[in-house]
Amino acid sequence: MIEWLDDFGVRAVIAGLIMVAIAAPMGCLMVWQRLAFLSDTLGHAAVMGVGLGLLLQVQPIFGVLAVALLIVFSLSRVTGFNTALSETTLAIISHTGLAGGIILVGLLPANTVNLEAILFGDLLATTTRDLLTLLVTTVLLLFVLLHHWRSFVAVSVSREIAQAEGIEVRKVQFLMYIMIALLVAVMMKVMGVLLIAAMLVIPTSSARLFSRSPEQMVFISGLYGLGALAGGITGSFHFDWQTGPAIVVSATLLLLLTLVVTRSFKPHLE
Amino acid sequence: MQAELLVRARRLSLTLGKRQILDDISFELRRAEITTIIGPNGAGKTTLTNIVNGLIGDFEGEIERMPGLRIGYLPQKVYVNTLMPLSVERLLQLTYSPTDQELDRALAQTEVAYLKQRQVRSLSEGELKRVLLARTTLGQPDLIVLDEPTAGVDVSGEIRMYQLIGELRDQLQCAVLLVSHDLHLVMSQTDQVLCLNQHLCCSGLPESVSQHPEYLALFGQQASDSIAIYTHHHDHEHDVSGESSEHRHD
Repeated sequence: MIEWLDDFGVRAVIAGLIMVAIAAPMGCLMVWQRLAFLSDTLGHAAVMGVGLGLLLQVQPIFGVLAVALLIVFSLSRVTGFNTALSETTLAIISHTGLAGGIILVGLLPANTVNLEAILFGDLLATTTRDLLTLLVTTVLLLFVLLHHWRSFVAVSVSREIAQAEGIEVRKVQFLMYIMIALLVAVMMKVMGVLLIAAMLVIPTSSARLFSRSPEQMVFISGLYGLGALAGGITGSFHFDWQTGPAIVVSATLLLLLTLVVTRSFKPHLE
Repeated sequence: MQAELLVRARRLSLTLGKRQILDDISFELRRAEITTIIGPNGAGKTTLTNIVNGLIGDFEGEIERMPGLRIGYLPQKVYVNTLMPLSVERLLQLTYSPTDQELDRALAQTEVAYLKQRQVRSLSEGELKRVLLARTTLGQPDLIVLDEPTAGVDVSGEIRMYQLIGELRDQLQCAVLLVSHDLHLVMSQTDQVLCLNQHLCCSGLPESVSQHPEYLALFGQQASDSIAIYTHHHDHEHDVSGESSEHRHD
C-alpha cells in the first residue's frame, strides 16, 4: 500500500476530511427536511448492527447497514412518506436498538469489542481498509447527490410544489433514507454512533446563520466541519481527548462564536 | 362560440375508507375562463383540485385533459422551509429554468419585482402568495390551479389578489381554477362557480349561484346579500386604484 498511509495520524486526517466532505451536503439536506433525528435513531440502533455483525462474524459495518436499511424500509412502509416521522416512533426504535445492541455486545466474549469506540468513535484507529470503505461510499453518495441535487432541493423547499411539478417526491425521499443509512454506517467509525447526528447538525446550524443560498450553506457547513475537525484532532493529539467528542465540542464552540459575532453585526443580516 | 376546452371531468367520485369525499362531480374548464370552487370546510375542494392536477389518481369517473396541458399550481398550504436559505429568485428557478427576462416579467405581473433578491423566509404571507402566484406563470401554463390563494392575506390585499388573477388570465389566456371561501370577493372575476359540498350543489354564473336555494342553505341569505354590496364596493375600489396605484418598496 502507499507508504504515507502507514502513519495513523495521516489516515485519521484523511478519514476526517472525507467525512466532512459528505457530512456537509447530507447534513444540510437532513436539516432542511427535518430528518436529523432519523440519523440519530439510525446511529443508536447501529449498536445493534455492530452486535449482530460480530455475532454472525461479518464486518460490523455490514451489520450496521443491514439494521439501518431494515429500519428505513419499515419506516417508509409505515409512513408512506406522507406524514413526518413521529418523534415517538423514532425514540422507541432508537433506544430499543441501543439497549438491544448493548445486550448483544455483552454476550460476546470479553474484549472482542471496544464499546467505547463504537459509541464515541475512534478516528485515530482508522485502518487503510476503513479509509477505503469511507472513500468509496462517499464518492457514491456525492455522485447521487450531484445527480439529483435539483430534486433534493425542490423537495426540501416544498413537497407539494415539487410533486405538482413532476418530481417523484416519494422516490426522492426513499433515496434520501437509503443514503442516510449508508452515511450512518460509514460515519460510525469516525464519530461514534452517538455523535453522528451532531456532526450533521452543528456545522449546518452555524452555516445557516449567514448563508443566502442552499449551495452556499453546504459550502460554509463544510468549512465549519473542517474547523471542527481541526479542533478535534488537535485536542486529540495534544491533550489526549477522545476525537469524536472533541470534534463535537469544537463544532459547538464555533457555533457559539458565530452566534456572538453575527449578533454583534446584526445589520449585516436581514 | 365557446372557448377551447381544456379539462372535462365526468362523474368524478372519491371515497376514502367509508367517507364519501366527492360524489358525482362533472364540469368543464375552458381557456381564459375563471372557475371558482366554493364550499364549506371539508366539502372536498382541495381534493377536487388535486384530481385536476393529477396529484390524486385513484378516483372513479373520468377526467380528460387537453393533450400536453400545462398546469401551474399554488397549493393551499405552502410550508416554507425557514431552515433553508433561499432567495425569491431561486425559488422561481427550483424546477423551471426561466430566462432572466421571464423571471422579471413574472414577478412584475404580480407586483413583487422588488422582492427578487429577498430571502423567502423574510417574506410576509401576502408577499409569499404573490411570489408563488408569479411562480405558477413560469411554465407557460394553460391552466392555473389556485387553492385559496388569499388565505392569510388582509382584505384589501385579497381584492387586489383577485384582480391580479383576472389580469393574469387576460395576459396569459389561461384557464384558472380557484378555490375560495369568499364568493363575494371573487364574484366579478369569475365566469363559472362550482358550489361544492361533496356533491355539486349548483353551478353556473355567480349571480345565479348566489340565488340558488342550496347555496343559500349553505351560506345563508346574508352571504348572498353581501355579494351585492361587495360588487358595488369593488367597482368603486377599481376606480380609485386606477388613479393612485400604490407601490411599496422596502
